[in-house]
Amino acid sequence: MSTAVLVKCVVWDLDNTLLRGTYLESLPDRPPADPAISGLLAELGRRGIVHAIASRNPPEAAEYAAQATGCEFVAAECGWGRKSEALARIAAGLDISVDALAFVDDDPYERAEVGAALPGVRVLSPEDAAEAVGWPEFSPAVVTEEARRRAGLYRQRHRRQQAKQDFAGSHEDFLRACQTEVTIAAASPADVPRLHELSERTSQFNSAGQALPAESIAALLGAPATDVMTVRLRDRFADDGLVGACVIDWRQDRVAAVPLLMMSCRAIGRGVIDSLLTWLAGRAARRGAAAVQVPCPVGERSVPLRLALARAGFRAIADQAAGPGRTVFRCDLGMPQPALPDWVTVPGEA
Amino acid sequence: MTGPGRPGPAVIADELRQVLATATGRPELAALTLDTPLFGDGVGLDSLTGTLLLRRVRQQFGVDVAAEDLNLDALATLGTLVTFVDERTGGDS
Repeated sequence: MSTAVLVKCVVWDLDNTLLRGTYLESLPDRPPADPAISGLLAELGRRGIVHAIASRNPPEAAEYAAQATGCEFVAAECGWGRKSEALARIAAGLDISVDALAFVDDDPYERAEVGAALPGVRVLSPEDAAEAVGWPEFSPAVVTEEARRRAGLYRQRHRRQQAKQDFAGSHEDFLRACQTEVTIAAASPADVPRLHELSERTSQFNSAGQALPAESIAALLGAPATDVMTVRLRDRFADDGLVGACVIDWRQDRVAAVPLLMMSCRAIGRGVIDSLLTWLAGRAARRGAAAVQVPCPVGERSVPLRLALARAGFRAIADQAAGPGRTVFRCDLGMPQPALPDWVTVPGEA
Repeated sequence: MTGPGRPGPAVIADELRQVLATATGRPELAALTLDTPLFGDGVGLDSLTGTLLLRRVRQQFGVDVAAEDLNLDALATLGTLVTFVDERTGGDS
């Protein structure tokens, strides 16, 4: 017996899909929500199907769409990358398969791109979407326990975003007010499956630029002169668990080489990568290293990671060993090292 | 001198101010001075807002800062970014 795979999340375009018009071109006015689509959002919501946004607009356009449609969105991917990648990140962030996604966009190019890259996604025009509400894959027999859990995940994120909007202080003050806790610790064998998953799912924040097999990660745990460090993140809204990691190779004289630095996109903007880079510099300095070196891809996708490296004082150096399309970024440790924020704990270090 | 088809530094600066204000959700950045640092206490550009800014620069002005400037030094201040873009869109200096 074959049954249609249920859609768990519908990913919506904004311009001329959820909104009647183009957000950026309408500023300072903002285009109204499409009332028929808003009704559709509500109907699907009652069936336990959640909604997300993939848009080529700044993040506040997604916040505006939530107000305008009266709908709660569990994720918003705003940027200029491929929408198929935005959908993959949305699915990863929700811990669901991309095959449990539907995608609605008025632009035939975007639909073709997503359809080609992710054949399991139900790709619909806004007109299709109105009919699809009667299809079996949008019609779960019961609203499941899992659907309720997803709503909880949404509420945690939404409360954090809301708190951020209402917060007047600096970003670091905001992280502190959220009771952000970043924990940096040596990896244990129990972390290997999650580290492997993270290495597969991270793209923008992965200095290796490729996934590491679980066996390779397990082998690194016992390798001489090698540290595998994990970063966990929680705050008063949610426990995000293991969101980042790095591998440090101490075999070179006076240089801490970092062949892998990765972080979940979910942790962007929450102080994780900066904490990890600050800790790395401090640890390397205490071990007598003069520099930290991170080989990193220099293409479009690694821009977020390069921004983090630039903020932390890393500079590109010529290094043939980095490979094609890659550059070694180096941070010299001559100056006094900045202290870790007080919400970062490192068990085993004073 | 700013000729036809050349946006010129003033136009570039205004456009970038708008992008920053939009990307960060902080309308006050529309009045940003040229010497304000983009990282750290000035604008507090993070990985997300920085990526949005660079994409917008590439779309609007055809300048790929990330490809041309490995160290992203152009992002030191609003002024350095304006100069970087202006020099690559036909500016004289």
